[in-house]
Amino acid sequence: MIYATLVLFSLFILFQLLYIFIPLFSGKGRSEGIKLLEEKEFSILIPAFNEEKTILNCLQGIVNLGYSNYEAIFINDGSSDQTMKVLYEYLDLKPIQRTPTQIGQHEPARGFYQSANFPRVFLLDKENGGKADALNAGIAYSKKSLIITLDADSILAPDALAAMNTSFEDEKVLAAGGMIQISQGFTGSHIKPKPVFNLPGIIRYQIIQYLTDFYLHKTTQEKLKSITVIAGAFGAFRRHALLEINGYRKTVGEDLDITLRIHKLIKTKYKKHKLIFVPQALCYTECPSSYKALFSQRFRWQRGFIDCLLHFRKSYFTNLGFPVSIYLLVDSLILGTLNAYPTILIPIILLFTKNYSMALFFLSFTFLLALFRSIMALLVAGRFGHVYSRKDLLKITLFVPFEILTYRLLGLVFVTFGTILYFKDKDVWNNVDRIGTNKQSYGEGIMLNRKEVG
Amino acid sequence: MKRNLINFLFPLVFLLTFSCLIYIFSDTLVHAFNPGHSVFPQDKKVDITDCQEWTQTVRDFNLKPGEEANRITVLMYHKIIDDQNIQEGHYQDGNSLQETIVLKSEFEKQMALLKKHDYVTLTAAEFNLFMDNKIDIPQNSILLTFDDGFKNNYQEAYPILKKYNFTALNFVITGNITEKDNKYDPMGQQYLSVSDMKKSCDIFDFESHTYNFHQRNEDGKAYLVTKDKEAIMKDLKISLGNISDNQPLFSYPYGEYDLETIEVIKELGIQSAFTVKYDDVRPGKDLYEIPRKTVFPNDTIVDFMDKINLK
Repeated sequence: MIYATLVLFSLFILFQLLYIFIPLFSGKGRSEGIKLLEEKEFSILIPAFNEEKTILNCLQGIVNLGYSNYEAIFINDGSSDQTMKVLYEYLDLKPIQRTPTQIGQHEPARGFYQSANFPRVFLLDKENGGKADALNAGIAYSKKSLIITLDADSILAPDALAAMNTSFEDEKVLAAGGMIQISQGFTGSHIKPKPVFNLPGIIRYQIIQYLTDFYLHKTTQEKLKSITVIAGAFGAFRRHALLEINGYRKTVGEDLDITLRIHKLIKTKYKKHKLIFVPQALCYTECPSSYKALFSQRFRWQRGFIDCLLHFRKSYFTNLGFPVSIYLLVDSLILGTLNAYPTILIPIILLFTKNYSMALFFLSFTFLLALFRSIMALLVAGRFGHVYSRKDLLKITLFVPFEILTYRLLGLVFVTFGTILYFKDKDVWNNVDRIGTNKQSYGEGIMLNRKEVG
Repeated sequence: MKRNLINFLFPLVFLLTFSCLIYIFSDTLVHAFNPGHSVFPQDKKVDITDCQEWTQTVRDFNLKPGEEANRITVLMYHKIIDDQNIQEGHYQDGNSLQETIVLKSEFEKQMALLKKHDYVTLTAAEFNLFMDNKIDIPQNSILLTFDDGFKNNYQEAYPILKKYNFTALNFVITGNITEKDNKYDPMGQQYLSVSDMKKSCDIFDFESHTYNFHQRNEDGKAYLVTKDKEAIMKDLKISLGNISDNQPLFSYPYGEYDLETIEVIKELGIQSAFTVKYDDVRPGKDLYEIPRKTVFPNDTIVDFMDKINLK
């Protein structure tokens, strides 16, 4: 028993050390990631299902891009709310003809429109089919060689495309993930947003988590060639790659699924090609601000993870590369799901075997490790221009040790119940994809000035 | 510049913090990573009290004048290993067995010899009374003792002792007792399990060999000599509690002790304590410095006869 815990704990420490020290010594900074280069062409795909409250914020991000060689296609996935109407009125849409490329199967289109106000913005209206289905339709109707996928509740930073453009300068890059920031954590205009920390605990918790997951985990995984997921909120792909793997698969975890299939493509056809993380390409997304919405979101993520894990069961170490397989099976599955939360499980095991001083050791060790990891996340974030005021830094200093012992334990609930729900409702959820995602209206924490549009 | 400073300072602070943590918990960690020192819980008791009642029996030997012993031999064993299980690891510097090992075949011969010459193994109570000059015992009386409480004592020695109807003292490092019954492994330092002790308490009289003080400090001095009185007292109390020892005997790890050690064991009500001084035992001698004769792996049967004063 003690040996099993020690092995698990050592693995846990090993991964934590990689996550802490690889980003520290990685050479990138904000200025190095964005260069003035010839603009490559992008199609931005924004699937939208009942997003009437957030869709215009997303649109503002797009029209404010400091970039010209792009088209943005909103895909109305048969919304039952006013999404279509809101866009129609705001964009002054005119129907146009466009011939789609053949790609897998997707629900039929009802119409394709171009905006009279913003000629780079298009709308694809189609029957409801879920997020993967909407993305496939979007790929079919897109015309540019690089595809950006963007969630309808996310807002691109003005230089996000320029950063992606710089990254795709490298021919070997097949796909890239952007840096997702939590919009509630910023104030001021979205041209020059300023990070703030004067927020409810549930949002603070997610901010720390996002900074860690992206600046530390994704940076490390890129170095180790093991980016397991390009977040659906903001990713970029070479269109031919998406066509070669026949687009998205209908699943709750469609972003994890497409990332893994790109890995397979690299392994089988495009050796030496890679997936990267572009920390300079920013996108702001609104995080759930109620526990109900947060639980619903995380259960969905976990179900998507388990689904992909099983779907790819025959591919590990064969047509999925060694590093990806290791990260998926060891870091995500064993340490993340099976062991749910090593930091809490190991001390519990020891408390049961009455090894109190050992339990205290493990607890202190994991606590300090978590603390150092959060400090590192903030350090790296600072290098990319995400700098807090002194007052906010003090708030963070007081919050993080508390958060490690409280909020972070929520992870245990997410993975446990998410996994249970997967096996319980296995057959139901495939078709109810986007239903149940959060449809929060914008809180007061964010003040993106709508008047700047246009 | 600032970046390089952070890249240098952060790992430094990180290393310092975790070094401190590991230093603070070093005792705990040494235990966890040293399987020989897996710890039996301090407050746990091996329930063998009823089964050990025989150790307090005193027989009437019906001796005629002149038949009583005026000296006896106390023999000391550690490990009994089956000849077939002997591996390279059992040897020290090449070709001689470690001093703590006696081959099972030799042990069998030695016990057979004792039986042949009608030797009687004493109980703890008989031994103490003999030392106090309160009873007479036969000249061919003997006391068998095992130190450390190795699992092979149960595995190999117990059946032989039972066959010849002998009993023996077994001085157990109680902190090494295992709660789970692991498969017997003749290599390495494997100690008695709770279940082994329960199954062999009819033959072995389990006594204390400390709880966790069978250790030496950095200078190679035994804990019983270097640790302070309170610490020794605490350790021995735990060990006596582990085996519910009401009439305790004791043997000194490495045979090392000093006046303070003797004070402690007197205070704890321990009746007698065994050293590794090579000599016969005569009544009236100091009960806290009882000599014992080690049986060595290369002892011939003649050496053995010499040890037990058998002509």
